[in-house]
Amino acid sequence: MKNLNSVFAAYMIGWAVFFVFYLSVAKRTSALREEVERLKNSLKPGK
Amino acid sequence: MMWKRAIGGGAVLALVGMSAWANFFIAPTERTMGLIQRIFYFHAASAWAGMTAFSVCFVASLLYVWRRLQKWDSLAVSAAEVGLAFITVVLITGPIWAHPVWGIWWTWDARLTSTFVLWLLYLSYLLLRTLIEEPDRRALLSALFGIFAFLDVPLVFGAIRWWRTQHPAPVIMGGPGSGLEPTMRMVFFFSVFAMHALMALLIVERYQLEKLRTEFDVVRREAEAL
Amino acid sequence: MSLLSNAGALLGKELRTEFRSRELLTTTMVFILVIIVLFSFTFDPTSSESRRFGPGLLWLAFLFAASLMLQPCFLREQTNDTLSALRLSVDDPFAIFLAKLCANTLFLLFTELLMLPLFAVLYNVSILPAFHWLLLVLFLGSMGVSLAGTALSAISAQARMRELLLPLLLLPLLTPILVASTEVTVGLLDRNPYMQWKGVGFLATFDLVFLTVLWLFGEYLLEE
Repeated sequence: MKNLNSVFAAYMIGWAVFFVFYLSVAKRTSALREEVERLKNSLKPGK
Repeated sequence: MMWKRAIGGGAVLALVGMSAWANFFIAPTERTMGLIQRIFYFHAASAWAGMTAFSVCFVASLLYVWRRLQKWDSLAVSAAEVGLAFITVVLITGPIWAHPVWGIWWTWDARLTSTFVLWLLYLSYLLLRTLIEEPDRRALLSALFGIFAFLDVPLVFGAIRWWRTQHPAPVIMGGPGSGLEPTMRMVFFFSVFAMHALMALLIVERYQLEKLRTEFDVVRREAEAL
Repeated sequence: MSLLSNAGALLGKELRTEFRSRELLTTTMVFILVIIVLFSFTFDPTSSESRRFGPGLLWLAFLFAASLMLQPCFLREQTNDTLSALRLSVDDPFAIFLAKLCANTLFLLFTELLMLPLFAVLYNVSILPAFHWLLLVLFLGSMGVSLAGTALSAISAQARMRELLLPLLLLPLLTPILVASTEVTVGLLDRNPYMQWKGVGFLATFDLVFLTVLWLFGEYLLEE
């Protein structure tokens, strides 16, 4: 089938963009969640 | 809460998968372009979802200027980032379509050119945010720029389209004359729906991150105060 | 009307400040001249080529020059915190914007009108037949540039990397001005000049939209 590569590439690259975006957000979220927990814990014993 | 998010995510994934399946197996093959035309469902649906995301950014910006609540700023930046992701996909899939059909990657076609400017505008919006440190100032100034940018968009599209009527060039994905046959139209609108669902999911995820960041700032300020 | 008289007084101040030193105007004009000269190296300026490429390059030169000229607009108010004084002196903060808007439009128009004959000579295009229409396009285009530029200048003055930020924010926003002004100017510099009212319509719409936006949101740009 003519142009199957191009159609395939378009869909794959498109989904890759969304996937990378989602992964980046998820990674930052879990990293930040850890930071917040760590900070909260460091506050409690001090008080 | 986590369950709701997981179910929502799964539903969106299913929708996107189904729309892709429909794009390939339910939509009939287009007469002149053949297989390559199927990129259209993905490309155009992403464009619509991107514009919706930017509309959300616009409304959130207006609400922030009016109400000055942090959540509106968080929504605005989330919607802008997600919108930019969708528009990036539009700008990538456009040339991938153009190359087999026209033999060139880019034709400065009216819609794609305007989309490029749109992409630059919201990239500038995000860049502006990184250059202002104070959160309230950043929220207000970026909200104002967000309002200017969104109002500029119809002018950009209109002016470039008028200019292109004076200087015609190859049109990517068919001009205003090319209509959609009924089955194609159904498949297209299902793609639009699926892309909007994906947009909503991504905005919600990004918004949660922003909310967490605000909480982090508060806790960190407490820690520094000690 | 208090708004107009306030704006008028502030406009007088803006003009007096600039004409005392004239540094903004002279620097802008020299910059436009430099761009015009440099552009001549990028294509062969025969009469027909100049008519094709000239207007676009001219408006690009104006846009680049404006994005530099508009930098000091609010920056110079930061040095002695004169902005607070300005805000106290008027009831409606829009008066401050109106004054700066008019001043910037006038400065831009002034430099453009001085550069136009030079451009005509260097690129062999005739500007006289449709001069009055050219004036209209220059006015509407400059106003558009000034409207967006003044607003964005207020924003970028409060951010880092402001010298790069202002052009970065301004130039994409001014796409409609560039497209419409260039296209109308092409028609007016043609061997048989013709007017494209649709382009003028776009310019006028842009100006109206951004004037309204500035009127509605201007005060927030000046918030402390």
